[in-house]
Amino acid sequence: MTTNKIEVELKNFFIFNSSWDSKEGEEYKKVLYYYPPTDEINTQVNNVGLVEAIIKFTGNFKPNAPVNSLHTQKKRQLYYQPEENYWMVMTLNLPHVAKSRNGSTVNEYLEEDVHDTVYEAVLKQAYLMYRLFAGTFCSTEKKSDVSHLRNKLEHFFSAYLKTLKLTHCDILNVFAGIHFLPLDKQNFLNVQCFINSLECNYPMIRYVSFLFNDSLIWSGIEPNDMQIIYQYLIGTLLPAHMETELQGGSIPRNPLSPFASLHYGRFITGPSNLKTAGSVGKIPKIFLNNETNPSVFYFIVYRALSSTVCLFIDGETDLSLHLFKELDEFMGPKLSSIASDIAEYCTKHITSTNTPDGAPRFIYFNKLNLAYKSTVHLDNRQTGNVACNKESIKVMADMNAKRALMGHAGETIVKTMNDYWIVGKISNLREFYIAIQQKNASLIDISDEVKKICDTELKGIFFHPM
Amino acid sequence: MASNCEVEPGAAPESALVTTDSYENFQQMSSSLEEIKNSNFTSSTQDEFLDNCNNIDSDLHVNCSTVSVSSQDEDYIRDEEWLGKSKHIFVLSSAGKPIYSRYGNEDRFASYFGIMQALVSFVQADDDSIRSMHAGDTKFVFLFREPLILVAVSKTEECTSQLTAQLNYVFNQIASMLTLSRLVKIYEQRRNYDLRRLLTGVERLIDHLLDFSEQEPAFTLGAVQCLPLTSSVRDAISSAIVQSCSKIKNLVFGILLANNQLITLVRMKKYCIHPHDLHLIFNLVQASESLKTAEIWTPLCLPRFDASGFLYGHVSYLAEDCQACLLLLTVERDAFFSLSEAKQRIVERLRRGNCLEAINESLNTKEETCVDIGFPELRHYLYKCKSTAQFHQPSMGAPYTINCKRLLDLYRRAHYRLHCPTRPLKLLFERTSEDALLAWDTRGFELYAILEPLTDTGNAIATVGRLLNWIKKREDKLFQLNAPTF
Repeated sequence: MTTNKIEVELKNFFIFNSSWDSKEGEEYKKVLYYYPPTDEINTQVNNVGLVEAIIKFTGNFKPNAPVNSLHTQKKRQLYYQPEENYWMVMTLNLPHVAKSRNGSTVNEYLEEDVHDTVYEAVLKQAYLMYRLFAGTFCSTEKKSDVSHLRNKLEHFFSAYLKTLKLTHCDILNVFAGIHFLPLDKQNFLNVQCFINSLECNYPMIRYVSFLFNDSLIWSGIEPNDMQIIYQYLIGTLLPAHMETELQGGSIPRNPLSPFASLHYGRFITGPSNLKTAGSVGKIPKIFLNNETNPSVFYFIVYRALSSTVCLFIDGETDLSLHLFKELDEFMGPKLSSIASDIAEYCTKHITSTNTPDGAPRFIYFNKLNLAYKSTVHLDNRQTGNVACNKESIKVMADMNAKRALMGHAGETIVKTMNDYWIVGKISNLREFYIAIQQKNASLIDISDEVKKICDTELKGIFFHPM
Repeated sequence: MASNCEVEPGAAPESALVTTDSYENFQQMSSSLEEIKNSNFTSSTQDEFLDNCNNIDSDLHVNCSTVSVSSQDEDYIRDEEWLGKSKHIFVLSSAGKPIYSRYGNEDRFASYFGIMQALVSFVQADDDSIRSMHAGDTKFVFLFREPLILVAVSKTEECTSQLTAQLNYVFNQIASMLTLSRLVKIYEQRRNYDLRRLLTGVERLIDHLLDFSEQEPAFTLGAVQCLPLTSSVRDAISSAIVQSCSKIKNLVFGILLANNQLITLVRMKKYCIHPHDLHLIFNLVQASESLKTAEIWTPLCLPRFDASGFLYGHVSYLAEDCQACLLLLTVERDAFFSLSEAKQRIVERLRRGNCLEAINESLNTKEETCVDIGFPELRHYLYKCKSTAQFHQPSMGAPYTINCKRLLDLYRRAHYRLHCPTRPLKLLFERTSEDALLAWDTRGFELYAILEPLTDTGNAIATVGRLLNWIKKREDKLFQLNAPTF
């Protein structure tokens, strides 16, 4: 018997508006975006028709939420209604193993390997990312017309779908958390002062966020907005920037006198080389506060050493090259020195995450401040670079999906068929999952081990009912 | 904990029940009626099922009065009570004809059946098959077993595979009345056939089966519970049945049960009964009041045993003063009188041996709760012996006497997590503010113990160890450890 696993893959992805009561033969007009474009119009219309039938049929039974998924033997379809009557649909081919028995090949589909919760989060994030850069579907349609909305969707999603790493999606997608950097008072105050003086001197800067490597230190915008911007920075913008730096290093060098303060700053969005730039170029605009008071901001990212500053400038402002030059002169030296101080602090005080192989690995998430920490994942790039077996991470996602049944607090310890132990603890809005690879441990050993880990990693965080 | 593995209360080398995992392939059959008949050189080797099917032809009238989709549909769509039911079950033909609805008259929402059929066939057209849809608290689970479509719309905590299992039971209940072969044949001949014509009376059995399977952990575990009896009494009962039936040919199973518990099961050599089939028999007995007053001769198909044909059952209660029900199942369609005589002989033997009193005594004894047997920290448990597909549970104690639904939900959830097809677990320990649960799957047994919420792992392990020893000491009373044959 040979096995050969085919991973989960995107079958199609489409957006439609269910309120348009189109005439027979014109159903295709409902479809706002459809991937892959190679599917014939007929197929597209049929697929939308099935989804509409499902929405309607399930709605008859008065569920407490609209339909969110369809499971079939070979596929999984996820639904998300981000705005009234607008539906986003993502269809996945389930991972499967081709098993050949006596010459004939049978595909075994792994339904349980694909968590609804994980891919619902992926779909939701696709919407939030679109909304960040393009605003709501509804507002676009109102302001201009459907064809404009179609163009915007086409423009955004054709690129975005290529960046999805469906195979490596896991419980972290559900959390979409932010990694925070704990700092000492002095360094934190330095960051604060820097941000305050920026905001005082340049009133058109409405909000500022500050990151060090992949960790957030300060954010002036709403947590919901920061959550999606964080995903964009860590997942897309910063890695792309690092790549260009590595390949030909356009780091501005300032061969000034050794007495001048160091200046390593440069714009990541905005004019990257101020000396040669003739104009400000194209500055990305984003939509913040979408749920309360949607407004447009210029999104300017500036980086020095390992520190990244995000400036959210009022969308009405007239940006000039002069302003960028001034901002660069203002931020460059200050940020360079703050960054090197933080770097020094980190090497001294933050213990490296190099836990030995086989040591317990954990994931922590607090829904209240969206903070997460993972020693299971070795980077934040969703590359599948993980320190424990994938089955354990899936068991964690199982626990997460069923956490509502636990009430406000609870603890689960399980042992898998391969003798791995996975522990899940839930307390109000905090979740803590641990994978322990100790083959010969007993249940009592494991609960002792968990107590130890909680003492060292979660000092001061109370976990009921422990 | 490993040291306790040697204790395997209730284990036996031979079992009268097919041992099983619950989420397996439901369509697999264990036996063949043909084989039984042929091996016993009986005369009735005619394929009576073809006969049967031919007979149907003659009573197939044109019964396709089209159900008008009228505004009456709207009544149910708006009916809060109907919508508020925690679990709807629908059965329809693959052509979309309504066959059964758990609540309400199915003709009044015929359009829903049409949509369900359309969903199934649309997905099927893509060389795929629909399994379930999820909308918030509501699950829509589909099971397509040629020639029927079964759908559950559930707001309960049960997971998809448990709902699918329940739908399979419903399908098997229908098949047990008609045989699968006949069912398939009917629709081959007339795609639009209204099956309800053949299922009068079966609806009641399905209603009962659904309630029954929601209340009994036996269905979750795929096992049966035995009436506690000392082994000498149980052996005496078994041998009374064996001796009284010694001259009767082709008797496949003799089953004695009372109060949803098995007293004994005697079988033909080499043949075993599947727990699922036994559950259908329990359901039949429990749902049929008329059995209490009369002897009944009924054809009965055991779908997991052989879905293609009928066994014939002589069903009767032992005596007015002993409410245990005896079923004698044979492949002979005209053995009523010889089995009726055999039943009289069995009752006489049991009476002489004081077995009826022993059964009554056990039936009248209130089962002990965990507190009664000296486990104050233990609230309830299920113990399943895998090699015999039998299980034991104590009487329900506080706080589950009031909320036994929660208890069953806990068990179902734990059972699924241990048996989840792609990520099965060996051990599960879970604590919430309401209770603690230890579920343990070993090669020989499964144990689900519900403990006080503040029990720590050390105490949980110690309690479970003591419990296993307690069960071991009483295994010959709590389980049928041998598998007697005719």
